[in-house]
Amino acid sequence: MELVGARFSIRRAGRGASVFPLIPFFAFTGFFLIWPVLAVTLRSLHGNKGEWTFQNYQPILKSGPYLHAFVTSIKLSLITSIIGSLLGALFAFVIVRYASGKFGAIIDSVSAVFANSGGVPLAFMFVAAFGTEGVVTQILKSLGWDIYAGHFTIFSFTGVVMVYSFFQIPLMVLVFKPAIAGLRKEWHEASINLGASQLTYVRRVAIPILFPSFIGAFFLLFAGGFSAYATARALTVGTVPLVPIIIGTLVDGNVISDQANLGDALAVGMIVVSAIAMIGYVWAQRTAAKWRSQ
Amino acid sequence: MKIPLNKWSLIGFTLFLAILIFVIPLFGAAQFSFKGSGGKGHSWVNYQWLLHQDGFYPSLLTSLKLSVLAGILNLLLMVPTMVYLNLKGQRFKVLVDFLCILPLIIPVVSLAIGAQVAMPEFMQNTEYELVFFFVIISLPYTYRALDTSLQTVQLKTLVESSRSLGASWVRTIISVIVPSIRSGITGALFLTFALAIGEYTITSLLHWETFPTWTVVAGQQNILGAIAISVFSFIGAIALLTTIALFSKKSAPKMIEVGE
Repeated sequence: MELVGARFSIRRAGRGASVFPLIPFFAFTGFFLIWPVLAVTLRSLHGNKGEWTFQNYQPILKSGPYLHAFVTSIKLSLITSIIGSLLGALFAFVIVRYASGKFGAIIDSVSAVFANSGGVPLAFMFVAAFGTEGVVTQILKSLGWDIYAGHFTIFSFTGVVMVYSFFQIPLMVLVFKPAIAGLRKEWHEASINLGASQLTYVRRVAIPILFPSFIGAFFLLFAGGFSAYATARALTVGTVPLVPIIIGTLVDGNVISDQANLGDALAVGMIVVSAIAMIGYVWAQRTAAKWRSQ
Repeated sequence: MKIPLNKWSLIGFTLFLAILIFVIPLFGAAQFSFKGSGGKGHSWVNYQWLLHQDGFYPSLLTSLKLSVLAGILNLLLMVPTMVYLNLKGQRFKVLVDFLCILPLIIPVVSLAIGAQVAMPEFMQNTEYELVFFFVIISLPYTYRALDTSLQTVQLKTLVESSRSLGASWVRTIISVIVPSIRSGITGALFLTFALAIGEYTITSLLHWETFPTWTVVAGQQNILGAIAISVFSFIGAIALLTTIALFSKKSAPKMIEVGE
């Protein structure tokens, strides 16, 4: 929908404002964003001898390690974006309601750091806290709970879920706070005056209004978790098969010759999954905007 | 079932969760980083190790250099673009908005692979190619930050008065528009810088060495040292951002907002 609208506006713009001042921007994004994506897509559709083929996508579509990697990646992003969006929404609600002024500003910047500067440092921090020798592990052990008694390690799927939640929750706080702040006091007063209880207000007014924004944020978290690379790379060294990690390994040169363009196909596959999530995001965003304007 | 929606029990529960999820790991890591040699006692030894490690200063310097360049390039590209969009080129706004949100849709890993395929050789031979991709990945945030602050000023009036008083376009942008959207510009600049200095994915896939990729390599030799770097960069980033947020509340970084 976005694209159609955009094309339409280009045609009409010929009669109005000139496109000339935007040429640097279009040239820049064209060369450094669109062209790389096109190039990798084209190469993923070519075989070793330069012939057109769909061969590179075969390993992803039939069951095997690559399909398994996609399933694992999607599962990881689903679980962490569910945890992140639910807990993040709770945090956002409490922050909007009870933390204001300077304290709110501090929470904002702390969330921004947790959500964005994650990556490598985050992985090492969790090793320090929850590794076999980690501080938290030791404390829990002295309390009688050995978290390493079972299958758990910080380098496992569960470990990655924990680390990812660490940046998904603050991301949700940042993304969802404006929606909660947009709830009008009048709605609350009106429903209380009409005899609703606090709980009825939350269930029948607040949640329905916030729902599209919530779903939109959920999709954004999903896309973010799905494409995260640094954290998992620094943490797992390949113990959990995630698509970005496998692409990284392929790029680093461990390539079997007949799979030369497999990395390209995986990269395009990631774009497709992420794009589906972002369509959900755009849709939810529009619904949310419609709600607000009514 | 009656859920007690009591104010204090809600705050208490949230605080408990926050401590459990955020404070304990951070605190645990900080304590770990002060472990002395052989895991005994407390000392600064891991932080000192770090400073004497080969590649610490060069990689930090590279990261700083590339991040500053990315911030500058980003503003040079986006300030005129956003001003024009909000002034005359509204018709292109949907398209530019879409292009700026694309870096969130295209996984950075895929962009990095694409860069390997698409960039001409002379670009791939210099670390400065990273600057361009740092600008690309910060576009979603820059767009929002600049757009929000441009919408709060009377752009048309400002430009018309400036132009009718005889100022050139360049002059109008530099001495009229830029000062009036300073909060958006600092926000955009800061976010680009923060993203660029912590960027790992593109850098490592294109085989360059910056501070984050150096950290991972160094961490393979000395995990305590790597934890020390991590704690240091986390605390540093929080301190920096908090200071900025407290001194100019408006320039606090703006993230993508749902349902805006």
